[in-house]
Amino acid sequence: MKVARRLGADEAILISVVSDERMARFANSTVTVSKSVTESGTEVYLSKGGRRIIGTSSNPEKASLERFVSLLYKSMMALPKDPGHVPLPARGRKYRPRRAHDRRLESAEGLLAGYVEEAIGSAESEGARRVAGSLEAGVTSHHIATSTGTVGADTGARILLNVRAFTDRDASGHGLSCSATARGLSPEVAGKRAGYHSKMMRNARQLPEGGTYSVLMSPTVASNLLGLVGEFASAFSVEAGTSFLVDSLGKKVGAECVDITDRGTGEGCLQPRVFDDEGQPTRSTELISGGVLRSYLHNISTAKRFKTATTGNAGLIDPGPWNLEVGAGDSGYDEMVREMGHGLVLTSNWYTRFKNYRKGEFSTVPRDGTYLVERGELSSPVKGIRVSDDMGRMLSSIRLLSEEREWVQWWEVDTPTLCPWVLVDGVTVTKAYGESPPSSG
Amino acid sequence: MLLDEYKDLAEFSVREARKAGAEYAEARIHGGTGTGFMLKNGEPQPSMLEDSFGIGARLVIDGAMGFGATNLLSRQGVRGLTARMVKMARASSRLVKEPIKMGESKTGRRTVRVPEKEPVEGGDPGWLESLLLEIDGRVARAGSGGGVKIPNRIMVASVGVEEKFIVTSDGARVESRVPRVNFFAILTALKGGDAAQRMVQQGQTGGLEVVKRLRLVELVEEEAQTLADVLDHAVKSPTGVMDVVLSPELSGIAAHESVGHPQEADRILGREGAQAGESYLSKDSLGTVVGSGEAFVSDDPTIQHSNGYCPVDDEGVPSKKRRLIVGGKISEFLQNRSTSSLLGVRNNGASRSAGFDREPIIRMSNTFVEPGDYTTEELIKEVKDGIYLKSFTEWNIDDKRLNQRYTGLEAYMIRNGETTSLVRAPILEITTPALWGSVKGRSKRLEFEAANCGKGDPMQGLPVWTGGPDTLLGGVRIVGGA
Repeated sequence: MKVARRLGADEAILISVVSDERMARFANSTVTVSKSVTESGTEVYLSKGGRRIIGTSSNPEKASLERFVSLLYKSMMALPKDPGHVPLPARGRKYRPRRAHDRRLESAEGLLAGYVEEAIGSAESEGARRVAGSLEAGVTSHHIATSTGTVGADTGARILLNVRAFTDRDASGHGLSCSATARGLSPEVAGKRAGYHSKMMRNARQLPEGGTYSVLMSPTVASNLLGLVGEFASAFSVEAGTSFLVDSLGKKVGAECVDITDRGTGEGCLQPRVFDDEGQPTRSTELISGGVLRSYLHNISTAKRFKTATTGNAGLIDPGPWNLEVGAGDSGYDEMVREMGHGLVLTSNWYTRFKNYRKGEFSTVPRDGTYLVERGELSSPVKGIRVSDDMGRMLSSIRLLSEEREWVQWWEVDTPTLCPWVLVDGVTVTKAYGESPPSSG
Repeated sequence: MLLDEYKDLAEFSVREARKAGAEYAEARIHGGTGTGFMLKNGEPQPSMLEDSFGIGARLVIDGAMGFGATNLLSRQGVRGLTARMVKMARASSRLVKEPIKMGESKTGRRTVRVPEKEPVEGGDPGWLESLLLEIDGRVARAGSGGGVKIPNRIMVASVGVEEKFIVTSDGARVESRVPRVNFFAILTALKGGDAAQRMVQQGQTGGLEVVKRLRLVELVEEEAQTLADVLDHAVKSPTGVMDVVLSPELSGIAAHESVGHPQEADRILGREGAQAGESYLSKDSLGTVVGSGEAFVSDDPTIQHSNGYCPVDDEGVPSKKRRLIVGGKISEFLQNRSTSSLLGVRNNGASRSAGFDREPIIRMSNTFVEPGDYTTEELIKEVKDGIYLKSFTEWNIDDKRLNQRYTGLEAYMIRNGETTSLVRAPILEITTPALWGSVKGRSKRLEFEAANCGKGDPMQGLPVWTGGPDTLLGGVRIVGGA
């Protein structure tokens, strides 16, 4: 900050990010690698006379960081003025250092082997022949200082377990346990769930043809799809035309039962942040309530263009969600299967890709426990299908939400999302052309 | 150069690991510098600079593997890192059923330097902005004649240098410096209530001369005009079983997704099972027929200027061209030290990492369908009624790499051996054996596209090329999109 001031910067923001992560990965019921990654980095924002620049340096030495700030300033001054520049609020904020995280997750290498053993054992006790997965525990701290006097520090922690069990190459099950505390982790539940589905998926069959189905999505699947609302609600995505929520503020975008909220902090949040990258306080922002789009996510610059206030979601360029919460319903899983009558239950998915972000058209590939439901009961495991839909239609066709919710964050879900089971009507399901080779073990 | 300051630390890391009893040790100083610039709807966003260096190390001790990384680049920092790796690996060794072996691999001293005619470092920082403004101006004007507008344009240009110094306990000392130039855009065209989108990605290794070599300005302008034409003129796609010609772009994505990925030996052996998935192939699949006699697919990390250029891998092993499918038969898997040791085959050097804080794992480089003897016109002449899929939007594939889907963006009907009208969003949704089993011919024209390939946990995105010639598929099913 001293260097930035000395050089003559009008504004400066420095955020130091320090993370300490431990991970154990396993496959074929054996640990394949243990990881320890300790990193620190500094994000620097400078402005001068309407010019702006952002830099990231991983070099923690003071002299190197000073050189980097000088380089940034020099580079910035060679750029033309940026018409989108909006000054930081004149008055800074003081945030008391927050260290409410679970200290057991600091340097958690001693915890991992036992949890992994429990997860593998639980999956195998349900019938799994081999078990893969990862367990990650870590602590991340953010420290901020701005030229307008904002200072603060914030630390969060999380532990994420991802278990995938196999009984043969085509029969797999998936289980997750995601928590902000070591006590909240359930290796047994995640392992048993993965093992159970791997057993149930034996002898899965192809659907004779695709069609339109009611689909009951587990929290894992629903958080992958509904969680994308957080990205689509970013004012940057709206301005860039990469969102189906363009021109939708105050309009009906989903069924009445759909509520989606972004939270900076709160019980169970896996990615808590007290302040955003502009030093503004994070908060709880209703994105969708009663099926109506209530707000986009903003930083200071996008908020000015949209004639509103920042929601504390900077991203200096692209505002984004911190932790999402999909509102609960009052249904139970069994009741939802009964209500569905004829349809499909999906417990996991991957590779969601969009044909058109503006129209929200996508497809995704179910994997692991996938079941046909006939006359309100699970009738047989199913493989080789793909779900195609568009976000607007899907949100509008949500019929039921479960009372029970789970936190989800894993390979396919970037933003931590507290999500219920979700029953959606009228979903297009397709299958590929051509035969598949027989499965082997 | 920053890398020189830290080479001793890599040597020190390997010595510390060996002193602690490691059977194998490896250390990599890895980092780089880069500059990026973004335009949103023609408006400049803040320029971005990045400077990142750190050390990533691995060791095998008591048959268990430890990986550690830090950017605290001091002897004390490395000593602490080694102690943590040893502690964690030893703690997990009771859960290791089959001890990890890193095998015998040919290593040595090597320096890799990708030449630059116009260096990416030290240039005018306003240059990228000027380039993007020129491209944006042309895109904004495209299609305006037919009532189509392209009001939403995201464009990102970045240049940077990736540097590595790799040391292994069996003698590798590899230093590399790879400059890169990358471009990415999302263009959204609107007409009435309708919309179409195109993602454009280009990337090569080399200096700023890459921009001219790619004809970047003209290329993006052409893409924008095509997008407008799709919205303006494309008619409903025919559906049913028909002959389909895949362009180099489609051939490339199919080669990457349904040949490259399932032939990564770590997936075949189950190591990526919980995330990126496994494979429809088993370790005994070498020689298995999965395609017609016309199906030839390779992966080659030694192609000059390529996005996936990597002549020595991140385990210090020289890379080579891999013949993945030869005449329809599985010929070779992508290997690293441990998989080649386990399978008893030669290591073909496919191990790469995205940064100092990521472990090296098996990755593709430049994966492509091998060219054939036809011209593009001759291939299309072979088709009575069919579709020419020239570019795609949405795509995905299941995690065993059997069930894939490619949705066309620029696609033409073929009637009596000639392309006719643009058609809207034809979908090829097909199994891997059906796709490669239907290959009837390949053109001479070999072209590549840049892409980022994702794999690993934590996720590692790596630059690759996907490519190929025009590829004729006989009798596959097309379903209609909207």
